[in-house]
Amino acid sequence: MNKAQRRGPAPSVPTDVLAARAAEALEQERFKEAIELFKLLTRQEPRPEWKQSLAAAYHGRARVMAAKKMFKEAAMVLENTIAADGTVRDPRLYLTCLLRDGQQPKAAAYLLRCCGSDGAVPAAERAPLEDLAAALLIAVPQLPDAPRAAPAGSPRWRDMAAASRQALAAWINGASAEEIEQHLNRISLRSAFRPIRLLLGSLIGESGDDERTRQLLETIRPGSPFYPFRQAVEAVVLRDRVLDAAGWERLTPAQQVFVAEVRGLPIAASQFLARSAEAAQGGPGALFGFLMKQSELPREEVRSACLNLLPQIPDRVAQFEKTFGPLPELDRHRIKALAAEARNDWQMAERHWNAVADAIAGGIADGPADRLAMLSQGVIYRHLAHLAHMHPEIGGGGFDDPVIFYLERCTAVDPEHIPSVLQLIERYREDSRDKDWHRLADDAIQRFPDDSQVLLRATESAVARKAYKKAAGFARRLLKINAINPGIRRQMIELQVAHARKQMRSKRPELAAKELSAAAEWERPDAPSPLLRIARGLAGLPIGPRDQAEAWLSEGVGLAGGGAAGWFQARFEAELMKVTGDDAAWLRKELARACEAPPTKEAVMRIVSALGQPEARENKRLVTGLLLSMRAWLEKAAGFDWPEAEFQALAETLTRFEAFELLREFARAGRQRDPANPIWRFHHMVARTRGKADKLSPAEADDLFEMAEMAAEREDFQVTKRIRQFLYGDDKPPSRRGRGPSAPSDAMVEAEMDAAFAAMVDQLPKSATRGLREMVAELGPDAAVAEMVEQMRESPLVPGMPEPMIRRLARAMVEKALEKARPRRGGKVDWDEFF
Amino acid sequence: MRDPFTVLGVSEDAGDAEIRRRYLALVRDFPPDRDPDRFREYRAAYDALSDERKRLETKLLHTNEAALSRLNSAALGAASSGTARPSKQAVAALLNEGIMRTVTD
Repeated sequence: MNKAQRRGPAPSVPTDVLAARAAEALEQERFKEAIELFKLLTRQEPRPEWKQSLAAAYHGRARVMAAKKMFKEAAMVLENTIAADGTVRDPRLYLTCLLRDGQQPKAAAYLLRCCGSDGAVPAAERAPLEDLAAALLIAVPQLPDAPRAAPAGSPRWRDMAAASRQALAAWINGASAEEIEQHLNRISLRSAFRPIRLLLGSLIGESGDDERTRQLLETIRPGSPFYPFRQAVEAVVLRDRVLDAAGWERLTPAQQVFVAEVRGLPIAASQFLARSAEAAQGGPGALFGFLMKQSELPREEVRSACLNLLPQIPDRVAQFEKTFGPLPELDRHRIKALAAEARNDWQMAERHWNAVADAIAGGIADGPADRLAMLSQGVIYRHLAHLAHMHPEIGGGGFDDPVIFYLERCTAVDPEHIPSVLQLIERYREDSRDKDWHRLADDAIQRFPDDSQVLLRATESAVARKAYKKAAGFARRLLKINAINPGIRRQMIELQVAHARKQMRSKRPELAAKELSAAAEWERPDAPSPLLRIARGLAGLPIGPRDQAEAWLSEGVGLAGGGAAGWFQARFEAELMKVTGDDAAWLRKELARACEAPPTKEAVMRIVSALGQPEARENKRLVTGLLLSMRAWLEKAAGFDWPEAEFQALAETLTRFEAFELLREFARAGRQRDPANPIWRFHHMVARTRGKADKLSPAEADDLFEMAEMAAEREDFQVTKRIRQFLYGDDKPPSRRGRGPSAPSDAMVEAEMDAAFAAMVDQLPKSATRGLREMVAELGPDAAVAEMVEQMRESPLVPGMPEPMIRRLARAMVEKALEKARPRRGGKVDWDEFF
Repeated sequence: MRDPFTVLGVSEDAGDAEIRRRYLALVRDFPPDRDPDRFREYRAAYDALSDERKRLETKLLHTNEAALSRLNSAALGAASSGTARPSKQAVAALLNEGIMRTVTD
């Protein structure tokens, strides 16, 4: 609607057009305009539906205003909807606006009218409004007068409100329990004023029993306006609510004032509590200032409280030291580390946490206190490992992955902390540091032989080394602790089947059968293994009895999904075992027969899942051959309505095993079904180029780049990764430590950088080289790199050099120094001379 | 999270056994079905202090308000067990707090 239209319709506009425009404005929540139009309409003809719509428009406008915190205006707008019985549309909103605007007396008067009238408020809203009315009629300074032409219930409401106010006033004024009870007895327990009867009853000790008092008070629910009152009363009357700091801090300021007055806290104590709370609200600086002025309080406690505030206000350290004396090194660095973390300065945090650990180490000798010191160091290194995991700015020791670096330090000072050991084992594994992984797993199992997590890691390590007997021993111990553990059972079965395959390939089916019979001990009756059944069947075929072998095979095929999916797995296993002759022919025939039945999505996905196993990846040509033998059957599945996630898994399998013809069929069918989705187009390109990005046409490459950009924009990182993987051939994102370039351009930059560094290092002045050698001799290479990074970071001569580059330069220099190292003791490298 | 030493009401040098005893006593007095929020607070505080390493972590890696709480406790120590009568304003403030909570929640 344009401006002219909004200014209002000309008087000549027909009513029906005006009504349509008004209805449209209301529907589109243009309330101001709707109000004007409906006002015009009702002036012309006061139709009830237009009056209703006008009220709805006022209501909408009031809601909009209330949302903008214009409570006074919103209440005034709602007053345009006052009905004959004095109520407005949406009483709850009206009251909210009045109360938030500070018009408590007006809200109380309104509520007295509403609550006295039976039909004024919808039944669902009645109970909460009555609760609110009761609290408000007690809280306002003066009870409102009875409304003119008062509804039937109004006088009774007013009487009970008066009784409640009198009871409360009597209690405040120190009246006796009997006098207060007289007033309370006038309050019906079925009325909304019941809470005040319970609260005052508890305060004058009516029940005399804590449990009964608690039960009665618990009937005042958290949503009630009397709930804060209930909490305050509980804090003063229940004997188990000891008035301690925790309980005090749990109270709101209003509750604290009430509790302090009722519990008779001395004014000085009360003032201290109130001012400290007030100062705390003003922030750490205000609280610090307040505490520093408290000369009456125990000095050591004030010092401790101020010390705890310093990480948030590190600029007050000098003021602190002036009053309490110099801080120990440990505290000084701890404050700086926490302050650096608060401003996300991770390098500085790392530096100061290391200084904290060093300060702790400086005090270590022997004895129980030193155990605590070593545990403290462990805490710091663990924290640094965590920070290194979260923030790439954390550098660690220079060469190593910083997480590993700090975890190694942590386990050195606190070797009994199992979670750190487990984390380090995992990290070694992820980092492909197999030697360290297996060494630590072996060491951990020696030290913690009954820990289930350690046993699991030790089993994994043994499996990776193909140390079957060792793995089996660990697994048995683990199953004693956790008898179900399906993961470890599956792993052990797979390991033993792998062993049996070797026996079969060496033409020793008896040994294979024995191996597989032993593997059956890992099976649980409620979770039979298809792989084991198939393998036992295949091993049994040459040695018999044939009936038994075929029965195992059938069971295994059935468990693997039956039909083509099941026989595919049997054939694949047979190929891995190099089953030949009649048995192989029989299996081929069974698979071919199973493929006569039409495919299903489930069967295809079972095959995809089976091909995700490591054996399939290790026998690519074999799988490709098998897939080709089932091509006709698989092609029939191309026309299914594949969900994108399932199709991705399928397409990746077909790509991995170079079944590009099949992939093309699936992608083509996908494009026909859903031409707008670029994912089919991508897989079509992969199929056409047979997975070789260099065979893409320029237009196709552009299309892919655009596809990747769009995927990145909608944060679909899976698709972005797939396209990137296809284009660049890299599986993993580049390491944040810069191991392995991710693209040719990166590699070029790395090479250029290395050349530049080599040139700089060659020009290293003799004095700097000597200082460097001395440092390496004293600190060792890792610490020397870290120290140099620190020194170079502070040097004004390398401004703006990125952290990784500083680190590489430092490393290159240390390596150079090591070439000609001749150990000496010594100090600091003179970088100024070098640069 | 509030300072766990204060929440459980134990000193900073309390040991495993004392902390556990205190935690169990608090949970007995305030079981989860009666006051779930308070129980969660006790549970979190106990988790933060249940062994030596965790206590060191709390002391070294976090700022805590234990000392301020001790100062508050000292002030609260002067409270009597009797029930005096509060001012009218204190009661009105409590009622108003409840009224405002119901309209703003």
